[in-house]
Amino acid sequence: MENRDAVKREIESIVGSDNVSSDAPDLIPYLKDSYSTMMGRDIPLPDFVILPKTADEVQKVVQLSNKYEIPIYPRSYGVNIAGSALPYRKGGIVMDLKRMDRILEINEDTMTASIEPGVTWGRLRKEARKKGLDIIPIGGPYQTSPVGNHLLTNITPYSSKYHCDRAVTLKAVLPNGEILRTGSWASAMGGDVNPYFRYAYGPDVTGMFRGSMGNFGIIVEMVERLRPIAPLETNITLGFDRLADCMKAMQAIERLEFTRTCQAYNNIMTAHMLLAPHKIKVPTEKEALLKKLPPFQMNLGLGGTDEMVALYEKIAVEEAAKWNGHPVIFEGDEKTKLDQVSEGASRGIMNMYAPLSGFAAVIGCLPITHVAEINDIVKDIVKKYDIQDPISGGPQEHELIVLPYDRCSTVYVEQEILYDPAADRSTLEPVMQCLRECYTQLVGGYGASHTIPNKTLMKMMVPAYADILKGFKKMVDPKGIMLPGGPYSLE
Amino acid sequence: MLNDYRDTIYHCLKCGACRVAYRVYEPICPSGIKFGFDSYYAIGRIGLARALIDKEIKIDSNLMRRVYTCTSCGACDEQCHDAVGIDPLQIIEEIKYEAVGTGMIPPEVRDFLKRMNIHGNPYGLPTKDRGKWAEGIPVENYSNQEYLFYVGDVGSYDERAMKIARSVAEMLLEGGVSFGILGDREMSDGNEVNRVGERGLFEYMAIANIQRFQEMGIQRIITLSPHAYNAFRNDYPRWGGKFDVCHYSQALAELLEGGRIKPSGKGDLRVTFHDPCFLGRHNQRYDAPRTVLDAIPNVKRVEMERSRGDALCCGGGGGNFFTDMLGTGERSPGRIRVREAIETGAECIATACPKCFNMLDDAVKTEGAEDRIVVKDLSQLL
Repeated sequence: MENRDAVKREIESIVGSDNVSSDAPDLIPYLKDSYSTMMGRDIPLPDFVILPKTADEVQKVVQLSNKYEIPIYPRSYGVNIAGSALPYRKGGIVMDLKRMDRILEINEDTMTASIEPGVTWGRLRKEARKKGLDIIPIGGPYQTSPVGNHLLTNITPYSSKYHCDRAVTLKAVLPNGEILRTGSWASAMGGDVNPYFRYAYGPDVTGMFRGSMGNFGIIVEMVERLRPIAPLETNITLGFDRLADCMKAMQAIERLEFTRTCQAYNNIMTAHMLLAPHKIKVPTEKEALLKKLPPFQMNLGLGGTDEMVALYEKIAVEEAAKWNGHPVIFEGDEKTKLDQVSEGASRGIMNMYAPLSGFAAVIGCLPITHVAEINDIVKDIVKKYDIQDPISGGPQEHELIVLPYDRCSTVYVEQEILYDPAADRSTLEPVMQCLRECYTQLVGGYGASHTIPNKTLMKMMVPAYADILKGFKKMVDPKGIMLPGGPYSLE
Repeated sequence: MLNDYRDTIYHCLKCGACRVAYRVYEPICPSGIKFGFDSYYAIGRIGLARALIDKEIKIDSNLMRRVYTCTSCGACDEQCHDAVGIDPLQIIEEIKYEAVGTGMIPPEVRDFLKRMNIHGNPYGLPTKDRGKWAEGIPVENYSNQEYLFYVGDVGSYDERAMKIARSVAEMLLEGGVSFGILGDREMSDGNEVNRVGERGLFEYMAIANIQRFQEMGIQRIITLSPHAYNAFRNDYPRWGGKFDVCHYSQALAELLEGGRIKPSGKGDLRVTFHDPCFLGRHNQRYDAPRTVLDAIPNVKRVEMERSRGDALCCGGGGGNFFTDMLGTGERSPGRIRVREAIETGAECIATACPKCFNMLDDAVKTEGAEDRIVVKDLSQLL
């Protein structure tokens, strides 16, 4: 970067000298995540990492970046593991937003929280529960940021009662340095009084940011939907021998519209979640647990009065029985962990990733009809590339999660292929190839990825779709400073 | 060697669980809270470890400034162990060990180690002054009593800690405990030397202590400092030093439960207990200090949100008490801890560690909160 020292002084005048660093030891931790390891991608050093505290500071830095054409790589709480927060271009500014951690409002009437990007799910839950509200459960762990997590993905184990997207309105600093507010907040007159309605003033601009992987700007404030806490909230588990039966039962139950959360797993996924990171490495522990578990299971979160919950449980069990399903009883730590995962933003979800921390996720959103089919496709591809279980060394059985959207009209399917990040490239290369083939077959043949297409997938989109995304990107980011060079960059 | 931890380093999920106490969803890493960049959290330090083993960077004093702000509080281990299965502190301390080997350590750490090496204590003060804290009270030198009361560096030389040593000794005397002290024959336990990575010196110190204790027939030890407690309990056995070790809070709890000491308190006092890292997280000892407080009639005990395994470190561990790598400022962990204590409505922070006492006492003054809260040792509250 030319005039690096002068630029640094300008940045310091915005965020304070304690909150900007150009020292290599401060920059290096921002260069790697699971994605970069698996892809074998070396990320160059940025020039600065900064810790802004306010939206005003973010805006000023973005304006400065436009002035000098410096790439910016923002991250909310910095736990992204999919490669979308890495600084792909040499030089540039990593903008670490974790100091922006205010919960600005929890509104009991509108059941919303207004939050900054450094707020985590766990903290939001803690504060919301003080007012009789709770977060809408999501699949990520408690230490992720709702802003980052929601806008990256819609993985959510909650029910058909709630629409899948809990972001209401946003305030963003666009890459051109302007402030955008969406939904009812867009009004310069009354927006501050009522930022609580998403579908205001025409097209859903909030939706433009969901799945945008940061291309369109930096969210500095988000209004997030919360939910009321029911008098009784509980979780039940139903087991199935066949995936097809499990899916039919899920469809039937979700169409009755009474569950609070719903998610299905295969037994591998359940075993990994239930065994703490150390027990998973003991073959006998996993074998013993797999013997107890049905091949597939569905966890349902139920809520309401005592009578309502009893009735819902009865109905769920009856519906499941029509598809050869049966209740599965967990106790003690196992029940606690599954309940936590069902409730979302949990620590239990960490164990899913934890066997060796290397997992390649094959994600697709598609009609429920095809779930069993794509599960078999992934199995075949894993076998084709001879992907070993990184712990046992034997053939790998992948993890499966299925989450319904909107009364099961479509489902989110995530299939995890595990690998050892410490393995050499000759071991990681087939994993990468396996992942690519899975994506090509699944997204090409069946269903949609929920994030902005990466460069490979973009070629599969109809031209007008790609043109709209790229056109919008060009409009808000004329100098191409926001997240250039990455796999999801709309360049 | 750091390379021995290669697999563990690569298995870091970079999930950030190490930054947050999951039971209360609050930040938990003292250096991370202070400085903010990932390099000051375990997540970043493991990233630096990876860059080191991949030979992308070398150890230099600039890098080590980030690593030496780690207070060895163990919060990252506590959070990560059952979530992802890594013990980040092991890796961080391994970096420190390698840095000591290369000599690339910050001058503050170098000077601390120099004083330890030359003077046998971090203050650079004469060994003969070690027993001065006991002047004027009928404490005897160790001569086959049941217990050795081991006071340690801070209790021997720091004015405020010397008062704590005296009040603990007075409680033990009142309870009829048979104990003696080493006085000027006492040598440093070496816990902080170990934590900053000078394992060679620590081994030398440990063996010297073990030999002295064994020659004197010492089998049971009550420590003033949780740091000494940790070293004696967890590290000394490696070199044959197997002693029955307890922290004074445990001894006091036992005396109270047996009715051998009777607490006398005046006026009502809301007290919150600050868990010392080397008593709590490192050794899972949380109850004895609370038993002591609960036995005091005028004390109403309230808990801070971050307590027990989720306690926020005062910033004094990992050698920081002597090197002050964390520095001061509003985001310093000691000041944050004081603010947290005030939020509970407590009028007093109770401590069971002379380092914690000093750190928090200083923080109260820096916060200008002397009219709202005081810091007292457990023994002083009795």
